[in-house]
Amino acid sequence: MIVLPEVNSEAMPAAPAAAPERIQGRAQGRLAALYLAPGMLGFLIFIIIPLVSSLAISLYKWPLFGDPEFVGFDNYASLFSSDPVFWTVLGNTLVFAVCYTVLNLGISLGLATWLHHIGKWGPFFRVLFFIPVVTPMTANALVWRLMLSDNGVVNSGLAGVGIHGPSWLSDSNLAMASLIAMSLWQGIGYNIFVLGAGLSNISPGLLEAATIDGAGPWQRFYRIVFPMLSPTLFFCTVMTIIGSFKVFTQPYLLTLGGPGESTNTIVLYLYRNGFSFDKMGYASSLAWILFVIVMLITALQFSQQKRWVNYDN
Amino acid sequence: MSRNLPAGRTVSAIAFSAVAALTLAGCGSSGAAASGPGASSAASAMYTWISNENDRSQWQSFIDAAKKTDPGFNLTLEGPSFPDYWTKVKTREASPGAPCIITTQGARAQELKDLLAPLDDLAKKNNIDPSKYNQAMIQGMTVDGKLRAIPYDAAPFVLYYNKDLFQAAGLKYPTENYTRAQFISDAKALTKNGVYGLSLPPQFVNGPAPALAFADGHYPVKDGNLDITNPDFVKDVQFTFDLVNKEHVAQAPQASDVVDVSQQQFMSGQAAMTFGGPWMYQTFTTKTKGTVGVAVIPSTSGNPISMIQGSGFGIAASCQDKEAAFANIMKITTADVIGAVGAGHGNVPTLQAAMKAWAGTKPAADVSTIETLLKNGKPLQTTKNWNQVETLFTQYSVEGFRGTKSAETILNSVANSAK
Repeated sequence: MIVLPEVNSEAMPAAPAAAPERIQGRAQGRLAALYLAPGMLGFLIFIIIPLVSSLAISLYKWPLFGDPEFVGFDNYASLFSSDPVFWTVLGNTLVFAVCYTVLNLGISLGLATWLHHIGKWGPFFRVLFFIPVVTPMTANALVWRLMLSDNGVVNSGLAGVGIHGPSWLSDSNLAMASLIAMSLWQGIGYNIFVLGAGLSNISPGLLEAATIDGAGPWQRFYRIVFPMLSPTLFFCTVMTIIGSFKVFTQPYLLTLGGPGESTNTIVLYLYRNGFSFDKMGYASSLAWILFVIVMLITALQFSQQKRWVNYDN
Repeated sequence: MSRNLPAGRTVSAIAFSAVAALTLAGCGSSGAAASGPGASSAASAMYTWISNENDRSQWQSFIDAAKKTDPGFNLTLEGPSFPDYWTKVKTREASPGAPCIITTQGARAQELKDLLAPLDDLAKKNNIDPSKYNQAMIQGMTVDGKLRAIPYDAAPFVLYYNKDLFQAAGLKYPTENYTRAQFISDAKALTKNGVYGLSLPPQFVNGPAPALAFADGHYPVKDGNLDITNPDFVKDVQFTFDLVNKEHVAQAPQASDVVDVSQQQFMSGQAAMTFGGPWMYQTFTTKTKGTVGVAVIPSTSGNPISMIQGSGFGIAASCQDKEAAFANIMKITTADVIGAVGAGHGNVPTLQAAMKAWAGTKPAADVSTIETLLKNGKPLQTTKNWNQVETLFTQYSVEGFRGTKSAETILNSVANSAK
């Protein structure tokens, strides 16, 4: 018979068992840091340093070549007090953002729902709508410029049915609408794709049960589809609004911000001030104002999401 | 065992980081950047406008002509389209590995002043005699009393016209005393059957407005300051806008139209006349549907006065081998080279010695017109913020051409924004 010695658990030395874990933990920490290093380095070099530099430059009058002159908050003061173009471009950007976001989400949701129900043709149309998203914006803009020119395809088509087409890009009342139309054509494919994925996650059983219980199409959409799709819709809303505030290529290539200032946007005005007008400090202050606006709107969206976004599956 | 595993992972992580860093470095580097601004390759590189094949072929003809005397000569070319050039040249020259040689227009030397190294000492050392060049060009290339570029052409703006369309309309060709009244009358007679009398770009300097104003002795800059709101100049710009919305002899351009759009209209025979520089001579005379002639810019009095805005080669202030860059400029600005380029492309040489070669390949009437304009030409002088003026005018002019805003309103807006 072997008698085992009585073991006093309290007397057990804890350190020898824990030491390898701590060492392993430290080693894993170092490993994690190493893995993260390239990303963090890139974040530091390409995000943090430019961000801080931009803030510093916004306090200077700097014509790119020549010595920068410290002017404090003069650039910001000029923007708000003596630059009428700033308020115009801010207004244009807001109009674009609101119209584009509302129309984009409305059309995307409608088309995504339609594509979800048309069976085997769904993937074909999904790809069709997604093609503009993956084609370069520059190429799209140039094609649209040709289409919307006075003698372009659109006006030729209208002339075919006896309508004298307007100047889509040179009439200050139509130019912004033309840019929004072109942007929608380019942008809805992405949201259709994301919303389509969201719709696929909704259990058909729930909808069948609701149908059996007598719910009509609108009730099924309002009571089941919309709440279950709301996280996806929230994501699409946030991303679409952020993207719309950064609109640049469309006015740059289709209208140059004109006629007059009717399609000039914050980012185009920022680019012009920095690279065409040699006002790097002024451009940087515009960049910071845009940053603050986008941050505030995004923060507002996140603070309000509890009112309509349902995360309970 | 448990300690070996992280060690293995550490090695993997180091390897991964190294590969990532090398990949980033590889993606980020380019031949030009590697060479650095002081390297000799930068002294043999030129940043210039290359809007189309015509531009590329023109720059190549400088290189080809220089090679005849120095077979080892070479110059690498890079650059965006003409309208983008004035925006991009500054950022390009602020970056590492930037080309040492920069092209500039006489009028724009003022704007690029901080970018361009003064060349007086190098010119003196290389026995350059400024008196042998067109004086309007030397004046244009001199900023703050210092020469900033060696000009290669002295380009008086001209009116190109389609002789076939003039003949078909029963009109006489424009003379060297072409008046505005006759010009309007001709343009109206030519506007029919889907063909317009004139094609217009929306731009300022490459458009008709300053050219027409110059012809009447009105200039956009006075004593170094922007003077586009003076009533005479405003009247001339309004005259230009009225060609579309009142006289209906031209189609309204769009703000985003590059100059090529109006050039294509002319070359395809959709417009009978267009304004342009002699640098388009070869392209227009060989590619237009019909025979092309060159006329003076119409003026109220009929006195032929043209806006001279030729170009030249300067050296970037940041270039570390200015001597080598200047030596290269010398090779592409000899009378032989300029003459050969003028003969092939139409650029009017800035050196009197090269005029014979240029004139030899052109009809006598065209040569006579351009010589008259050279004699009566005035240099286009601009301001330091000219790119802003140019950009804003293009953006605003669309409404002027369509008649929804007056020249006075537009020019006031441009002047206010460009303060």
